[in-house]
Amino acid sequence: MSLDDKLKSLRENGIDEAKRAQRLQELNDLRVNLLGKKGPITKALRGMKDVPAEQRPEIGTLANNVKNDIQQAIEEKMTELNEKLVAHQLEEEKIDVTLPAAKQVQGTKHILNQTIEDIEQFFIGLGYEVAPGYEVEEDHYNFERLNIPKDHPARDMQDTFYLSDELLMRTQTSAQEGRDMEAHDFTKGPLKMISPGVVYRRDDDDATHSHQFHQIEGLVVDKNISMADLKGTLEALCRHVFGAQREIRFRPSYFPFTEPSVEVDVSCFNCDGKGCRICKYTGWIEVLGAGLTHPNVLKMSGIDPNEYSGMAFGLGPERFAMLKYGINDIRDFYLNDVRFLEQFKGVN
Amino acid sequence: MKISVNWLKDYIPVTHTVEEMANKISLTGIESSPVELGTELTGLVVGHVTSVKPHPDSDHLKVCMVDVGEDEDIQIVCGAPNVAVDQYVIVATHGAHLPDGIRIKRGKLRGQESNGMICGLDEVGVPAKYMPEEFENGIYVFDEPQKPGTAVYDLLGLKDQMVDIDITPNRADTLGMRGAAWEIGATYDEKPSFKKPELNADKIKDLNDVDVEVEEKSLVPDYLLRELKDVKVGKSPLWMQRRLWNQGIRPVNSVIDAANYVMIEYGQPIQVYDLDKLTEKKLVIKKAHDGDKLKLADEDKVLNHNDLIITAGEDILGVAGIVNGTVAQVDENSKNILLEAGVFDGASIRKTAQRHDLRDDASNRFEKGVDNGIVSEALVRATQLVDETSAAEEISKEIVGNYTEAKPTVIEGSVSHINHLMGLELSTDEMVGILNRLGFTVKVDGDKITVTIPTRRWDMAIEADLVEEVNRIYGYENLPNTLPAGMETRGGYSQKREFSNKLRDVLLGEGMDEVINFSLLSKKEVDDFNTANTEYTKLLHPMTEDHEYLRNSLIPGLVRNIAYNQARNNNDLSIFEQARIFARPKGQARPNEIEYLSGAISGNVINDSWNTKAQKVDFYYLKGIVDEVLSFTNADAKFEYEATADYSNMHPGQTAQILANGQVVGLIGKLHPKYQKDHNVDETFVFELNIDALFELNEKSIKSQSAPKYPSVSRDLAILVKSDVENAQIISDIYENGGKYLNDVTIFDVYEGKNIKTNYKSLAYHLEFLNPNGTLTDEEVEKAFSLVKDSLVEKFNVEIR
Repeated sequence: MSLDDKLKSLRENGIDEAKRAQRLQELNDLRVNLLGKKGPITKALRGMKDVPAEQRPEIGTLANNVKNDIQQAIEEKMTELNEKLVAHQLEEEKIDVTLPAAKQVQGTKHILNQTIEDIEQFFIGLGYEVAPGYEVEEDHYNFERLNIPKDHPARDMQDTFYLSDELLMRTQTSAQEGRDMEAHDFTKGPLKMISPGVVYRRDDDDATHSHQFHQIEGLVVDKNISMADLKGTLEALCRHVFGAQREIRFRPSYFPFTEPSVEVDVSCFNCDGKGCRICKYTGWIEVLGAGLTHPNVLKMSGIDPNEYSGMAFGLGPERFAMLKYGINDIRDFYLNDVRFLEQFKGVN
Repeated sequence: MKISVNWLKDYIPVTHTVEEMANKISLTGIESSPVELGTELTGLVVGHVTSVKPHPDSDHLKVCMVDVGEDEDIQIVCGAPNVAVDQYVIVATHGAHLPDGIRIKRGKLRGQESNGMICGLDEVGVPAKYMPEEFENGIYVFDEPQKPGTAVYDLLGLKDQMVDIDITPNRADTLGMRGAAWEIGATYDEKPSFKKPELNADKIKDLNDVDVEVEEKSLVPDYLLRELKDVKVGKSPLWMQRRLWNQGIRPVNSVIDAANYVMIEYGQPIQVYDLDKLTEKKLVIKKAHDGDKLKLADEDKVLNHNDLIITAGEDILGVAGIVNGTVAQVDENSKNILLEAGVFDGASIRKTAQRHDLRDDASNRFEKGVDNGIVSEALVRATQLVDETSAAEEISKEIVGNYTEAKPTVIEGSVSHINHLMGLELSTDEMVGILNRLGFTVKVDGDKITVTIPTRRWDMAIEADLVEEVNRIYGYENLPNTLPAGMETRGGYSQKREFSNKLRDVLLGEGMDEVINFSLLSKKEVDDFNTANTEYTKLLHPMTEDHEYLRNSLIPGLVRNIAYNQARNNNDLSIFEQARIFARPKGQARPNEIEYLSGAISGNVINDSWNTKAQKVDFYYLKGIVDEVLSFTNADAKFEYEATADYSNMHPGQTAQILANGQVVGLIGKLHPKYQKDHNVDETFVFELNIDALFELNEKSIKSQSAPKYPSVSRDLAILVKSDVENAQIISDIYENGGKYLNDVTIFDVYEGKNIKTNYKSLAYHLEFLNPNGTLTDEEVEKAFSLVKDSLVEKFNVEIR
């Protein structure tokens, strides 16, 4: 057989064997056997010396082609086998994705704290400092500095837990007003603060009363603070908490430490003011109390009411949360049944 | 107070519905709601009883013929004991609607036809407690003839329309119809008109039958009396009675009713006394002696030296401004009477009324204040009414116990300042117009206004009050919405709050739910976990034993939560609370408020599932959480756990104090099995951390280092050691001897029991050596490792395995 024919038959056999291979190892062996230094092609090329000089380049080219063709056949088959293997592995590894997860749990922040922090964040954005104050407070700050002397009828509105004649469980976070005003350096700019925290009243616990609950007091003292500023601020708050379409209205009220004093209603977020059970068919829901800081309160903190004015507001996170989430019983907040707590995962 | 529209029409025109009025009054002045009486009532007419015969088949029923203005009298069977011929009565005719959905139908009662019902007042909507006593057990009978067949609603005020105003304590001026008329008038820009009461001049005489002395002049700025001689006490007229019962006041007799009527009309309480019942004809107003007694109808009140009383000789007639005793009560036989109009100190009244639980319409008014400009006029009005209804022969002049001239308040303000505070730009004319509507007179001098306030608005004192009046009448709905326009401020939390938020976030991340508990605990609870080792702080007047002391630990609250949940089959719990405890140093009245972070876990961390086995919570699980919290403190401190058996309600073998640089900052451990059982909780682990103490620790200063590029070398070490040697001791010794390249030591096995001798345990550690600046040689590592082993053998007598 001529060298030419030898090479051609090697090619045919090689390609044929590659195609027939079933395992990767066979192909590897085939490559080493056919194309290796000791393989038949190399051996055949040793017969080159017998080939006339003018035919040598032709044979050389053929030999290279044969090598390449076999190489290619092996590689093609290898790719085919590899793909089969992967497909098989994927088939093997198939799982039931509807089986339950390995549980990963984040805790749930108490809904009251979520509500409080949402409101805090709103006011921080407006440049308010958060100043929590004392839960055990002096009568002086809780009442007298708020223009509520002993024997003032307004003391009836809030029955108080006293610790001694002068010490009590604060009945309102407004108790922080006097402390903040006297500590503030007005040469450095206005006082803008909110004071969130726990307050206490001598109330029997029932669906709407709790002897302990939360309040957030807000206070701004500067030159030129007005009722319009109060209204704008509280409307922005109510929109933040209850939705962008909300409006508010003021109704006259009375608090000894503000003058004028107002109750603030927000248009009902449930019925959009049309009237429903939540707003008792009025279209409005009372959400907080507010007013301009009473001049006496400013004076007692050494602030001249002719130069400065202040606005103050107080709101109840329990009430906000009850309204927003339809909670009917204030005691739910303090029973801490985890099924109650966990339904508020991520609401704020 | 309920403002009757019919009554209000005496003073101002009323054209709006009560709904509209209540809404408008709420928005401009006082929270109000509409009240419409008797909307359901129909078919009620006046009937004239023309005959009454006994029922043939009943002892108590009677068969009556009643003229109801129709062609023929109708027959009605009536069971009332007081029904009689020639009475004018309320008849519910066939088809009539009564309160509570009751409907009257023609029918037969024991065989006798009955074409309606003769009604008592309580059956047509007047509450039984407000109707005259004489009709309590029977039908209502008109005093005077009425035209049969006419509707009874107006005669009896059954369909009165009212606005119920819920006043704030500063607006007691509207606790009288006249004050309310001013307020509502200002709202609708209607000026009220009032008739001035006048007495029959012929009857006024110089009577000297009674003396008066006010000892406590400072508490009684005004005390005026009038005597009426030879009155004939009877029933007051129907128009007065219906106004009273609709106010929730029971008509009694013509004198008492007149006094009550004036209280509603003027807001000025009036008292009445039977002069003939006074043992001594001199009234003295003074402080009681401790132990004095006031005789009331159903009990005696024991008085004390703070109570202001009205006396005549030895007799105590009443507690000033609050209640009268039975001694000098006016009844149908009284002839000579005294009317009293006084002003009493609100604070004193308030305390006495509270002390004796005797708050009523009169004391409520004195507590909040009354108009001392109309005391004298109100007394004239009461005298006039008594004279009209009870026909006195003679009337005394005003007898003065004390009198203080009422001076109108004058407030100066500035139009621009008031505008500034409102955020509006009203003209001077607009502002003055609003103040005039309120009945205030205004003098204008450029920007300055001088406003004179009538005495009826004693709540007005300063310019800020003018701001409120102008703003509310102008309408809050007309205010623009602005934000404070001052200098920019930087808002935010305090550093401590940021710190505590960060630690809370770690616990949330570890899957713990946040709870909020009460700060007031029972005595037992503060005893149970006095971990802060503090004096207790107790309320002066607790409401219940459950909430008597300020909490000194958050653990009792968490245990309560665990018990509450587990009782409801929520068994796997992981909860925490961040709140304050109250720690009171000895000799200090005020407790310190310390921020704490406390958590509790119980049940399983992981439940049995298709691919996992349940894992119960244990000490080390919770310790892992606490470690993570401590690492987030970013404190430059050495944290250690030191076993303790000092807490009686904690497990003595599974509890540790948490130390930071040797100072106790917290506690971790398992609840004592006995305590768990007593509180109905499963195996529960708790921890608490003093946030304030952690916050005080120095912060780490972090200088970034590149992660090492050379490989580390590891050695494992297994030792046999006495059981009482703690892991922390071994680890610390390994570090001490491991040389500068010892980078990390972790324990990976603890074994006691089979194949290990008694009182010994086997521990296995993984040591990692690392030189950040080069590759470690085996020799270097072996050398350090030998030193470690040698030291352990020497110090703890360990056996290297």
